[in-house]
Amino acid sequence: MVSNVARSGWAALACLAAALSLAACSTSAANSSAGSKTASGPPLVIGVSMSLSGDFATLANPALKGYKLWASTVNAKGGLLGRKVSLKIVDDASNPTQVVTNYENLITADHVNLVFGPFSSLLTVPAATIAKRFGYAFIEPSGGAPQVFALHLHNLFLAQPAPIVSSGDAFANYILSLPTAQRPRTAAYPSADDPFTQAIVGEIRQRLQAAGIKTVYSTTYAAETVDLSPVVTRLVAAKPDLLVSGTGGADAVAEVKGMVQAHFTPKFVFFTGGPNDPTFPAQVGPANAEGIFSTGDWFPQAKTAGNAAFEKAYVAKYGGTAAKIDPAAAEAFACGQLLELVAHRYGKVDNATIISALHHGTWPTVEGNLSWNADGSPRGSDIVVQWVHGQLLPVYPSAQALTKPIAKPAWAG
Amino acid sequence: MHLFVQATIVGILFGGVYALIASGQAIIFGVTRTVNFAQAIFTILCAYLSYTLFTDFGIDPFLSILVLVPAMFAFGIGIYVLLLRRLSRSGAELGLLVLYGLGIGIQGVLDFVYKTNTQVITPSYANNSWTVAGYQIPEVRFFAFLLAVAVLGTLQLIRQRTKLGRALRATTQNPVASRLLGVDVERISAIGMGLGVAAAGAAGGVFGMILPFNGNTQYDLLSKLLSIAVLGGLLSMPGTIVAAVILGVVESVVAATISPDWSAFSFLVVLFAVLIIRPQGLFGRRLRGAL
Repeated sequence: MVSNVARSGWAALACLAAALSLAACSTSAANSSAGSKTASGPPLVIGVSMSLSGDFATLANPALKGYKLWASTVNAKGGLLGRKVSLKIVDDASNPTQVVTNYENLITADHVNLVFGPFSSLLTVPAATIAKRFGYAFIEPSGGAPQVFALHLHNLFLAQPAPIVSSGDAFANYILSLPTAQRPRTAAYPSADDPFTQAIVGEIRQRLQAAGIKTVYSTTYAAETVDLSPVVTRLVAAKPDLLVSGTGGADAVAEVKGMVQAHFTPKFVFFTGGPNDPTFPAQVGPANAEGIFSTGDWFPQAKTAGNAAFEKAYVAKYGGTAAKIDPAAAEAFACGQLLELVAHRYGKVDNATIISALHHGTWPTVEGNLSWNADGSPRGSDIVVQWVHGQLLPVYPSAQALTKPIAKPAWAG
Repeated sequence: MHLFVQATIVGILFGGVYALIASGQAIIFGVTRTVNFAQAIFTILCAYLSYTLFTDFGIDPFLSILVLVPAMFAFGIGIYVLLLRRLSRSGAELGLLVLYGLGIGIQGVLDFVYKTNTQVITPSYANNSWTVAGYQIPEVRFFAFLLAVAVLGTLQLIRQRTKLGRALRATTQNPVASRLLGVDVERISAIGMGLGVAAAGAAGGVFGMILPFNGNTQYDLLSKLLSIAVLGGLLSMPGTIVAAVILGVVESVVAATISPDWSAFSFLVVLFAVLIIRPQGLFGRRLRGAL
């Protein structure tokens, strides 16, 4: 008798649990986004090789956050086409040889369903080639150097509005849009020995020289250099109106510190990298950041597709503020958004469908409305950003600007 | 000419900081016969500690040295007692590997605690400079140079004018004979290790005000320290100081007057030239099996 009662109790509990599960499922389904269902099928495994260690570890970390944020966001909505998204992330130690091994293992041993790209052009070139060999779509967040598109890979898609070599075009356009009297007459072009920065600086230099802006100093230095005092010594001697500097981060900070100490303020200061880092003002002194230009593919106030939700989710997951989000996080997040869009439009996310789909039409992401040439290079353009009153704001082209460019004030010391 | 003089000033000032770090390495080599591959990361460790003391407690980096130097002195003694003493009979190579591993381990901890973002310490005077006869003298580099001179002077006084210094020199010259003469070589070696690591601590305290840094900065710094050690002579303090200043000046002048691309190479040209003429380094004496 006792036994029967106990059995009845367990049966009732089981029924209750089943009912609650069904209720939970229906709630989840109701909350899921269009194109997705409750995650019930096998997980959709996406392989990613990331620089968790080595030279790129610092720079790659925001991209890693972006990938993880997208996965948790899409899973919270019920997954992709009813399948939970699972990221398989492996460390490439910032090494081009290791990245090849990683993608070969991900595809042939782990049999991941899809892959996303690693961090940097250096690693994207060999990684994309492996993906191409196995017929995988290769949506990647940061490989934008000319070497990447020189591969002419049909499976590659950079989730940014413009290739790296073109990211300085907007700044050159801005300078050339100024009335002749306001334009700089002389310019200096120091750059780290890096395919990204040299390509950007070279492109700007070519256009400004052609417009009559005289080059008074140009040099390259080893990419790991942080003591920029000799470069600044030359800068001060050359006294350029415009400084276009091919920097990655720490070298931009060192250059600013050197110029502050030398009491030399060019009329225009442009860094390819560094100012976009939310900690830049703290590193150079908030007042010294004022008026410094850079270009960017993403900024916090952008009215792009899903950007407000992205920022909200990012802050909820990682803390901080939207202003402190690194653009690399948005780039990686956009990779995931593209998958969601393909799933939504085509009802499937196999590699052949992704490759075919992304070569047609325009795809709205947090990085803007993306479309690609046959070699995977994006067709859009970056925007000029400037530190204005403590905020990094888009200032050019005017259609996307939130404020007008300001004149570079003298260094505050 | 102005460019040359300005670059020389900058090179000499930072060469002083290199000298401070490298002299610690020379002391350690003298007493342990082990090239300290962790000297660079000790410097970076102290740069991070100085950063924390400044950002979290508002302690000026120059004042933080008063905390860092004794702490690193004790740390150095601890490393000797716990790691190197036991290996002293197994040959210097094993000690070198242990210190190299320790350096990687410390970097791992630093990367975990501070993340791998580049940091820089920016007190209110970090970007100040004086203009003297048309030349810029960055305040931080100048005071860092003075600090290096003061610490190196103190180390030299200890080495030349105290019983401890005599024991240190004796141990450096011939540990076996020193032991025969009653010197407690292990104790002196531990103190020597402490002094060497403390020198890195003093330099690390101000390093972060001069240059941006993260854990990876240790490799660039380490390559410079090894070059200085070879150029100056592994056991020579004056040689180390001269080599460090040569490194600072050559790199700065070549970078400013020719190209930054050639600066490291030009120092290597000087290094090779000296090694061809004096394989033991500028001030060194021959030491078989040193490395």
